[in-house]
Amino acid sequence: MTRAVTSKLRPLKLPQHERRRLGNGLQLHLVPRGPLPLVAVRLVMRGGSVWDPTGRAGVADFASRLFRRGAGGRTADDISEAVDFVGAALGGYANEENVVLSLSAPSKHLEAMLELMGVVLQHPDFPSDEIESARRRTLAQLQNELDDPGTLAERAWARAMWGNHPYGHETLGQRRSIEALTRDDLIEFHRTRLSPTLSHLYVVGDIDVDRVTTVADRIFGSWKGGPEFAPHVPDWSGPKDAGHVIIVDKPEQTQVQVRIGAAGVKRGHVDHFPLIVMNAVLGGGFTSRLISEIRVKRGLSYGASSSFDMMSGAGTFLVSSFTKTKSVGTLLDVALGEVKKMRTKGPTPVEVDTMKRYISGLYPARLETNEAVAGAIADVQHYGLPEDWISGYRDRVNAVTAKDAAAAAAKHLFTDQRVIVLVGDARGLTQIAGKYGLVTVAKPADLE
Amino acid sequence: MPKSSPRTKAAVKLPPALAAIADSVIETKLPNGLRIRLLPNDAVPTCSFYTFFKVGARNERPGITGISHLFEHMMFNGAKKYGPGMFDKVLESNGGSSNAYTSNDLTVYYEDFMAEALEKVIDLESDRMRSLAVTPKMLASERQVVIEERRLRVDNEIAGMMDEELGALVYKAHPYRWPVIGWMRDIENITRDDCLDYFRTFYAPNNATIYVSGDFDPKQALALIKKYYGAIKAGPPVPPVLDAEPEQKGERRAQVHHPAQAPSLMIAWRGPKGDHPDTLALDVVQYALSVGQSSRFHKRLVHELEVAVGVSVDWTWRFDPGSFTIGLELKPGGDPLKAEAALAEELEKVAEDGLSARELEKAKNNLAATLTRELATNSGRAHALGTYEMMLGDWRKGLALPSAYESITSVQVKEAVRKYLSPSKKNVVTLVPETGLEAAA
Repeated sequence: MTRAVTSKLRPLKLPQHERRRLGNGLQLHLVPRGPLPLVAVRLVMRGGSVWDPTGRAGVADFASRLFRRGAGGRTADDISEAVDFVGAALGGYANEENVVLSLSAPSKHLEAMLELMGVVLQHPDFPSDEIESARRRTLAQLQNELDDPGTLAERAWARAMWGNHPYGHETLGQRRSIEALTRDDLIEFHRTRLSPTLSHLYVVGDIDVDRVTTVADRIFGSWKGGPEFAPHVPDWSGPKDAGHVIIVDKPEQTQVQVRIGAAGVKRGHVDHFPLIVMNAVLGGGFTSRLISEIRVKRGLSYGASSSFDMMSGAGTFLVSSFTKTKSVGTLLDVALGEVKKMRTKGPTPVEVDTMKRYISGLYPARLETNEAVAGAIADVQHYGLPEDWISGYRDRVNAVTAKDAAAAAAKHLFTDQRVIVLVGDARGLTQIAGKYGLVTVAKPADLE
Repeated sequence: MPKSSPRTKAAVKLPPALAAIADSVIETKLPNGLRIRLLPNDAVPTCSFYTFFKVGARNERPGITGISHLFEHMMFNGAKKYGPGMFDKVLESNGGSSNAYTSNDLTVYYEDFMAEALEKVIDLESDRMRSLAVTPKMLASERQVVIEERRLRVDNEIAGMMDEELGALVYKAHPYRWPVIGWMRDIENITRDDCLDYFRTFYAPNNATIYVSGDFDPKQALALIKKYYGAIKAGPPVPPVLDAEPEQKGERRAQVHHPAQAPSLMIAWRGPKGDHPDTLALDVVQYALSVGQSSRFHKRLVHELEVAVGVSVDWTWRFDPGSFTIGLELKPGGDPLKAEAALAEELEKVAEDGLSARELEKAKNNLAATLTRELATNSGRAHALGTYEMMLGDWRKGLALPSAYESITSVQVKEAVRKYLSPSKKNVVTLVPETGLEAAA
């Protein structure tokens, strides 16, 4: 059944990837690539929300968004004007594991924008009026998002999955912790959590490698401080509310957002490739079993998918869909049934073959923009993946057999350790939901 | 085969990266009217294949609103050679993926795929243009999918509800009045005959333009397109759409009452047609008002008054006069009237004084940067050039936009704001948060 797929693939033209290390430990990754006169820059610092202190969830994201709202004596307006004027974009944010400063700029303005990036990184002023204004805006945002059923489902899901584990620190924080943040917390975050030794600067696009090295050394070479080693991510023992069904009551909804969650695997797991091929069969592509059974055969929903989210310390598995209130039971039965079928019987050789072509054939299109190249290289670095991860990706996909995929499904798909979240009109849901586990009904405001 | 000749038009000098794209384009037309544009580029070993049909919600009538979009879904449900479910199966097993979208003016289908699959993609796409099958069973099932999509995007989504209300406020006679996804009852009642009639009228090769971008040999690609599409018969000319929209004689307002945390606002004016010269001045206005933290609306409403969480301006070119729309997400307890007054003041300032030289230049820099970023991928190049051709009549005009923007003056900006964004021609939809069951939380 296995076709000689690899031999037919046209080669990936990978751009040259130059590495340099500055005296302070900051590592540079420079990738010259045209033809457009654009550059993508990413400074990735290991200091994400997973290390936000208790009661201060959201501090990393809140502080990094404020970097450009006043730095080195320059006002927020002054900085915004400089960035916007040349058609660039500059911003800070945090995800679970990293704090990221990202810049996109026309190449002729790269040096000026890197200078500015250096200032907002090393000398954020955290002006009190900007802190208060951002706090009011963030709180308003957190509240407004309660109107969005998808966001409610994500928040309820994250809490039911992670419990007190730090991966559950939602990057934006929660009302109480955002209210509690002080200017000293932000200064403390900046001083103690970010360090050049744990950071990588990726510069991809229309650049001269030597010139960027000189400029980066001038701008970032004097950056000091922060930890020497990345803190440890505590182990996770699986979904906190396994076996439960959480209903978030929005009585005005005519449609229910459905999420099923379970434990997945860490990034770089030995079963990575069998798992992604198996998942593509289950809920990845447009011909997946979930799409076929939920959308095509039954017309229950517009969308249905499954995915693995893999981080350094733990990973999750998610099934996601939505349907009208009265069809929720059918949809859950079909989705749980498909996961069980995959776990017990695995995919067919034809399905595996199809998805190998699908994933490997489209892989080069995931490396088309400067931003995408920077992201791919940064992932290899951050997760400690093999050096040939990108160049060997298609071969690794094509080496997966139906037997490997079935074994990965049997080993990693859930049995009963799963969480179900339903966002919709609780009056029509509580009875249906009882069949799937212990039911809890929450209100949107509980998730602010 | 005919090579493009960008320099036959009034010598616009393009920046080198755009000139390289322009020089690479090969264009031709088959005897059946199918227009073909080839953009070879071997940076990555994949291709994108776009088919633009000049049909959208604009070509519908009351009773069958949403048929363009429902029909787009039916295009994935089987034709003569590749039956139900086969399109995506065959495509994915050949290393590709597909999708499509429907707008007010256009229906656009696209595939991204490994370079080796080009012939298979051409085979698949031509099969459904030649011989789509609309079976009662597939139509019944797909109708439910679209109804669920409407519930997702409109009936359970506040911005969707407001947008639907706004369309019906801005337009009284033009088909831009109804939502692209269609009214729920129409979706429920569109018949198989409606679909077949629609297919015969709008899906002929003379109403389509193909863009292929990526790693392929143009000679071979053209030969394949001729082989697979050449025998498809041309259809009669597409019936014209009449723009019977009367002049707006005063401000119009509507409200949406729905459980919500905060009020919000959408304000719109009818602008010029996409290919009208004033469109470019409004592009500049859009950027100066809303793009970046230094833009006028952002500074005033988000940072100075702190009344809004976010503000956006949507000015999408359309075949007929489209709408210039401001969207404002307020804070809980925010005062919509205060926000509206501030927006009006900002617009009045531009109507009085235009923009400063620096603001003009900033907007132009950003418009050029946005255009350049769109061209970074195979899919982006095919989509951008195709859209420019649909809207402006020629993709060359799209690549020449940065220089066209260069010539826009503060006086033109001022005049465009006075002409199109006047207080007496505005349309306002306000979301009034309802204290229903939800608010008891």
